[in-house]
Amino acid sequence: MKSRWLKLGTVLVAFSVIAAACGDDDGASGGDGNPLEGTSVTVTGPERAEEEAGAIQQALDVFAEANGMTITYTGDADWEANINTQVSGGNAPDISIFPQPGKLADFARAGDLVALNESAAAATSSNWSEAWTTFGNVDGVQYGVPVKTDLKSLVWYQPSAFEAAGYDVPTTWDDLLALSNTMIADGNTPWCVGIESGQATGWTFTDWVEDLMLRTVGADVYDQWVSHDIPFNDSRVVDVFNMVGDLWGTDGAVFASGGSIAATAFQDNGEPLVDGDCFMHRQASFYAAFFPEGTVYADGSEGAVDVFYFPSISGDKPVLGAGTLASGFNDEAATMAVLEYFSTPGYAEARQNAQTALKGGGLSGFLSAAIGQDPGIYQGLEQSFLEILSSAEVVRFDASDLMPADVGAGTFWTDGTSFVNGDLTAAEAADKIEASWPAG
Amino acid sequence: MEKILDTLLSVGIAVGASAALWVAANLLFNQVTTNWRRFNTAAGATIGFLLMVVLDGNRLLRSLGPGSDTIGTIPAFLWTPFIGAIVVGVIAGYLSSVDDPGRRLLISVASFGLLGVVIGLLLEDAYKPSFDHVALVGWTVGLVAVGAVLSALRERPPLSGALIGGALGWIVGSFGSATLGTGSTAEAVIGAAVPAAALGWRFGRTPNADDATRGRIDNGSRAFIFLAPALVFIAVTLVVPTIRTIYLSLLDRDSEDFIGFDNYQSVFTDVDSFDVGSWTNIFTSRLFLIGMVILAFALAVAWFGRKSSGKAFEVGGPAIGPLVIAIFLLVFAVFSVLRGTIMNNLWWVFTVTLMSTALGLAIAVLADRGRFESVAKSIIFMPMAVSLVGASIIWRFMFVARNENKPQTGVLNAIWVGLGRLSTGNGLPTLLFGAAMAAIGLGFLALLAKSLVRRQWNRIPLLGLAFAGMSWFLIRFYSSGVGGIRTNASGELKANPILFVQEPPFNNVWLMVILIWIETGFAMVILSAAIKAIPSELIEAARVDGADDSQIFWRVTLPQIATTIGVVVTTLIVLVMKVFDIVKVVTNGNFGTQVLANDMFQVAFSFTDTGRGAALAVILFLSVLPVMYFNIRRMQREEV
Repeated sequence: MKSRWLKLGTVLVAFSVIAAACGDDDGASGGDGNPLEGTSVTVTGPERAEEEAGAIQQALDVFAEANGMTITYTGDADWEANINTQVSGGNAPDISIFPQPGKLADFARAGDLVALNESAAAATSSNWSEAWTTFGNVDGVQYGVPVKTDLKSLVWYQPSAFEAAGYDVPTTWDDLLALSNTMIADGNTPWCVGIESGQATGWTFTDWVEDLMLRTVGADVYDQWVSHDIPFNDSRVVDVFNMVGDLWGTDGAVFASGGSIAATAFQDNGEPLVDGDCFMHRQASFYAAFFPEGTVYADGSEGAVDVFYFPSISGDKPVLGAGTLASGFNDEAATMAVLEYFSTPGYAEARQNAQTALKGGGLSGFLSAAIGQDPGIYQGLEQSFLEILSSAEVVRFDASDLMPADVGAGTFWTDGTSFVNGDLTAAEAADKIEASWPAG
Repeated sequence: MEKILDTLLSVGIAVGASAALWVAANLLFNQVTTNWRRFNTAAGATIGFLLMVVLDGNRLLRSLGPGSDTIGTIPAFLWTPFIGAIVVGVIAGYLSSVDDPGRRLLISVASFGLLGVVIGLLLEDAYKPSFDHVALVGWTVGLVAVGAVLSALRERPPLSGALIGGALGWIVGSFGSATLGTGSTAEAVIGAAVPAAALGWRFGRTPNADDATRGRIDNGSRAFIFLAPALVFIAVTLVVPTIRTIYLSLLDRDSEDFIGFDNYQSVFTDVDSFDVGSWTNIFTSRLFLIGMVILAFALAVAWFGRKSSGKAFEVGGPAIGPLVIAIFLLVFAVFSVLRGTIMNNLWWVFTVTLMSTALGLAIAVLADRGRFESVAKSIIFMPMAVSLVGASIIWRFMFVARNENKPQTGVLNAIWVGLGRLSTGNGLPTLLFGAAMAAIGLGFLALLAKSLVRRQWNRIPLLGLAFAGMSWFLIRFYSSGVGGIRTNASGELKANPILFVQEPPFNNVWLMVILIWIETGFAMVILSAAIKAIPSELIEAARVDGADDSQIFWRVTLPQIATTIGVVVTTLIVLVMKVFDIVKVVTNGNFGTQVLANDMFQVAFSFTDTGRGAALAVILFLSVLPVMYFNIRRMQREEV
């Protein structure tokens, strides 16, 4: 009998020890030399394509090896849903890369993210212009570090095709409309447009609307629109919807390789541009990834693809941008050190070199506006992106990334798609989007 | 490698711990008949340990330790459970040796009450309640009454239930409905000690178990020890999440404020759930008009049939075919006009369930005892092996449309545009195709004539409809053309592909086709098995009596497999109600194809509106529940 009681006791003790082991998760403390020695930092983000995730990891390894630490980047295809689960489950990574400042601000206000420490904040503000650091600033406190920049106010075209048909690159909005009409009259198709993108169908349309909002109402009203100080169904927004709708709806204006604009995948517009099915395609700097293999960029040769600036309407030179920001979920020294590294031109250079190599030449798709990078790491076309960025008078972040997810990753996409598909009028779509804006 | 070892270790610990728990539970209940006091001590210790683990583990109690993380080598947080185990174990063990009812009651109330006082004293400041006296009295009185009534109904002394109800009511009233963190230690002590004393009273009232009772406990416990893992598993994975989802659906988007049924109200008043504004369009839609014509035809046939057979509509009769087609068209007319998430779900349920069952039944019957039965059935069953996501991706490629100037790469549009080119061309292929179609039309006409001559009235209406349809097709083929072709403004012929996925409302039907393609195999296999199970004597008897194939099917086969059809239909309804993957992959709810499950996923996980997402989940759950109940009842009856 006695032995049985011993068994029972053993079981209880075993359980207690297991419970103790589960409860104890203090990290290892570093040696006495470099405080980062032996630490490890986890980073997650939505970029998970081989080239992008690999380049991020390689760039982080540069810092990790120099300090004897480990940094692990995990690209997550379903990052938007998973980061919520991880954070609410108390299982957040040390650092996450946010493609949406709006989401970063949500987490910061909920107290999940930790503000940058003094040194990381100082590095961020000296390595990036205020136009970019402001996206990581929540209520006056710097939480995010810009790590990647996308330039959206671009129109891709083929200089040789323009030359052959006698067209000039338009520098004003009126020129652009006139050129579009001339092309139609000549029997050419001016635009390639497609807004299908799987789960995110409609974002291409929101980019057009945002770019034109910035050009018609100016940056201040644009900010009010983003922060919902003016309603989404404001007549100025509806007007821009109709501007886009009229331009796309003109007979012969759009080549849609999928039969209709809503049915055409956004990736499927590179080939028709190269084949001459259309002359212009308004897309962001990263679109280089979607041109057919063997496409050459901006080298003046026959068939090379180049970009021009999506012209301004009122004369100022606004630029619609996007990008990613890194922010930390704890204030440990290692986390802050990695965030500081993210802000440096050294990270941008390491990643650009790694990503170009992983892509096997051509455009890397990566771009950074960090100050003090070696311009030699960028190719000609990439340098012209940076030129447009640096000469911009106004830079604004992609509005749909700043709006609440219900709108920015929800109704702005879906009801915008319904508008493009002809199922809703501009006013109906704007009303529905306004109604979906979460209260409070 | 490290991860693999970690995983192996965790699995090993989990398996070992489960086995140890199971052995320990059996050892514990072995003591019931052999050593009652030891059993009570051990059971009390276990309960005390678990109670303190729950309280301390949720950080409800101040740590017993003197400020440091460990006392000796043992973490401070482990002390509380062990002290709880010792205290409750001693109380229970001592109680089991006291037989005098008065002393029993006294000791029980006193020691339980004391335990409550200690817990109250140890409570963290953040959980000290400031009493809402009305709520406290209300909850206590209410649950005392409920407990008493329940006990009375079970023919037990009402006081027993009243005491347990009172303890629960006091806990809910003092902690559940008060503002926590603002109260005093006295209130915490009263809040904890009163229910503890009430429970002590309840246990003290029960006399020490005699041999008979101990035997019952010994026997009864074994079933629970065996059931417990399953019950715990069900509770953790099903019951708790269900209750929690219902609870979350009553809170706002951040799960902070209670907002009652607002989430449900917003779902049901949203135009995206029900868009019935344009219902008058039903009556002008082409589907409705064609449906009405066929319905009139069916009624005419029925009226004619009543004259000859005495029955207007009978299963397998001539009027049934046109009637079913007419109803199908009319329902489609309704669903194509009344839009919205919930209407879409109903449309899915109607179409997929009906079509899968009907096609599955047709194939099962037609292939039965045929030469290529197993081959045919294998092919039809094959889609079942494809995952829903895989099937959706395959069909997305089938549905692809391309620019009018480019070759169509989607199979369906390639056929559709090809048909268009055929019907507007004038080469040999057009001639051959037209001739083939005309031959089929003439075939229908010949069959129709044969049926008329032989007076096989049952076949005439459907053959008539088939002939009319074919004639219409041929007329269109030779006049304006059929298929994906159109003449543009400058008179050129252009491809006119169908945007299967993007054109509402019938894009819904194309999505349904994917699920029908998969589920037909399921229906076929189950129904085929049922058909094979029909005794062949029945069929032979019917044949001897002069029944033809059609009569055997309608009068013998169908009634025999009616219950199986019921199982197939209810299973499919539940499955289709929850449709998610197909919509997620093909449209993600765009273009008017949203369904409840995808809406729920988007709202809850992309928009992080937990309240509304939970409400959608509950609506889906409740709508599936009656069908599940019906299905389970049916299965239980089958078994009897």
